[in-house]
Amino acid sequence: MAKVLMKGNEAIAEAAIRAGCRYFFGYPITPQTEVPEYMSRVMPKIGGCFLQAESEVAAINMVYGAAGAGARVMTSSSSPGVSLKQEGISYIAGAELPCVIVNVMRGGPGLGGIQASQGDYFQATKGGGHGDYHLVVYAPASVQEVVDLMGVAFDTADRYRNPVMVVADGIIGQMMEPVELPEPREYRIDPAKKPWAATGWTPESGRERAVINSLYIEIEELDELNMRLQARYDEIRKNETRWESYQLEGAEFVACAYGTVARICKAAIDELREEGIRVGLLRPITLWPFPEKAVREAAMADGVRGVLTVELNAGQMLEDVRLAVNGAKPVSFLGHPGSKMPTVEEIKSAIRRMKEEQA
Amino acid sequence: MKKVYVLIGSFGSGKTELALNLAFRAAACGKTELIDLDLVNTYFRLSEHRRQIEAAGIRLISPNYVSTNVETLSLPAEVVSAFDQPWDTVVFDAGGDPAGATALGRFYEGFAALPPGALEVLHVVNARRPFSADAEALAETNDLLQRSARLAVTGFVNNTNLAVESTPDDLRLGYTLLREVSEQTGVPVVCTAGRADVLQAFLASGPEPRYVGTPFEIQTYMHRDWQSFLHEGLSGG
Repeated sequence: MAKVLMKGNEAIAEAAIRAGCRYFFGYPITPQTEVPEYMSRVMPKIGGCFLQAESEVAAINMVYGAAGAGARVMTSSSSPGVSLKQEGISYIAGAELPCVIVNVMRGGPGLGGIQASQGDYFQATKGGGHGDYHLVVYAPASVQEVVDLMGVAFDTADRYRNPVMVVADGIIGQMMEPVELPEPREYRIDPAKKPWAATGWTPESGRERAVINSLYIEIEELDELNMRLQARYDEIRKNETRWESYQLEGAEFVACAYGTVARICKAAIDELREEGIRVGLLRPITLWPFPEKAVREAAMADGVRGVLTVELNAGQMLEDVRLAVNGAKPVSFLGHPGSKMPTVEEIKSAIRRMKEEQA
Repeated sequence: MKKVYVLIGSFGSGKTELALNLAFRAAACGKTELIDLDLVNTYFRLSEHRRQIEAAGIRLISPNYVSTNVETLSLPAEVVSAFDQPWDTVVFDAGGDPAGATALGRFYEGFAALPPGALEVLHVVNARRPFSADAEALAETNDLLQRSARLAVTGFVNNTNLAVESTPDDLRLGYTLLREVSEQTGVPVVCTAGRADVLQAFLASGPEPRYVGTPFEIQTYMHRDWQSFLHEGLSGG
């Protein structure tokens, strides 16, 4: 199929539609508004449903309903809007329902600003809402990867009956790149495939009533749910952890970064190679499950003298990197919490400084 | 005589890149003003290149609050200088889609008072963008843009590209599309724009000149550090 030039936000919407998503509930907020705009344009033409809800809280609860009926459904927002959705996300996790939530991150805290950020790493990977639950969290680093991961996100959500989040920094949402789109996949609500879905029960249907609920009155029942969820998270950790390695072979330093920042790191790595400094990159593609083992192995490799975490925040993934490295090698940090993109020069300087300090 | 170029078109069709190229070229031979009239999109804007633009002797007018965390931009009073001051060339870079073109309507009287032949309203087309590859839809967009801008489009610009992955095939796609839309609407194709190598290869393939217009080589200014890493998709290795 011929390539098209797409903005990250348009790609999020188109790839979701091609993965069989026919229900979108959302509320506009910069820098993700092109997602609902695109959905509003296309959904009515393909028999889907676009609905601009009265608030983010309403939108996520509409997602809860459609997911309970077995549909492929999504919502998207940006940081402050995603905060509003947290109660609903916890309910969806508690009801064991699949859906996709997109967060095109902007600067915070509070209303913050509209420029790019990675400030919601903690919120996405460490809870966000209440209770012992996890979202699978994908962090694309290009518009093509947005397209690829949206399909993966819907499949993963269905496979594990668990909400999945795709986090993009504002740059990924806003930039345009050539992409190749996959062929559209047909998705129909199939009670045989999703027997838990509330698709309408009659005495003749020969199956149990499907009840969508996140309230567990008996102590044992709630305990059982939580044990089931934890076992599922172990499966997800085992099967769904994704990362990309770049130039790690023979590296003296390992950079760890995701999203747009990882691409800037790659440019810095290429330039540092020309200076004779060998740096590799480990780019988490899933932020949860975090590629802990891969980070540890990259850091522990012979000849590696330190790890540099680069983020568009004050140091959030840094904690996971430190846990993975567990003190075995020095871990440094470079980041901007105020939406100012780290530059290639800054990353190069940070690596040079690490090298000098250890000389 | 003062020449005023107004660039309108769908969101993401490459108006800003073209505006920058037009302004740099005009500044080499006369007094030039470049007006960023995009009140819709708050990213990837002319003001990010202010230093380079001003170093070329171009006066850049940007909306108030541009490149801050404010998303409701407003028009600065200086826009009227386009009509009042003795520029050789003025380039208006409007926002995308009919919504973005609406800001031009505010200056209807200024445009109407320009002498005949001074104004060129260019509809920039990139057929590789979503919703832009269909002749009927494009003719409809052209109509909506004209109504929103309160200006008649004087010509189409074929700016079909896939950013750094552009090939002559992209320009050919735009050429075929615009030939049809031009015949349908009566609006001529006045320009075909592209990176030098892509444009030359396209021209060498012998397209009919009346659907090519003036060939215009463009330099890429809206560049980012991360553009060299396009192939990070799961299938791209």
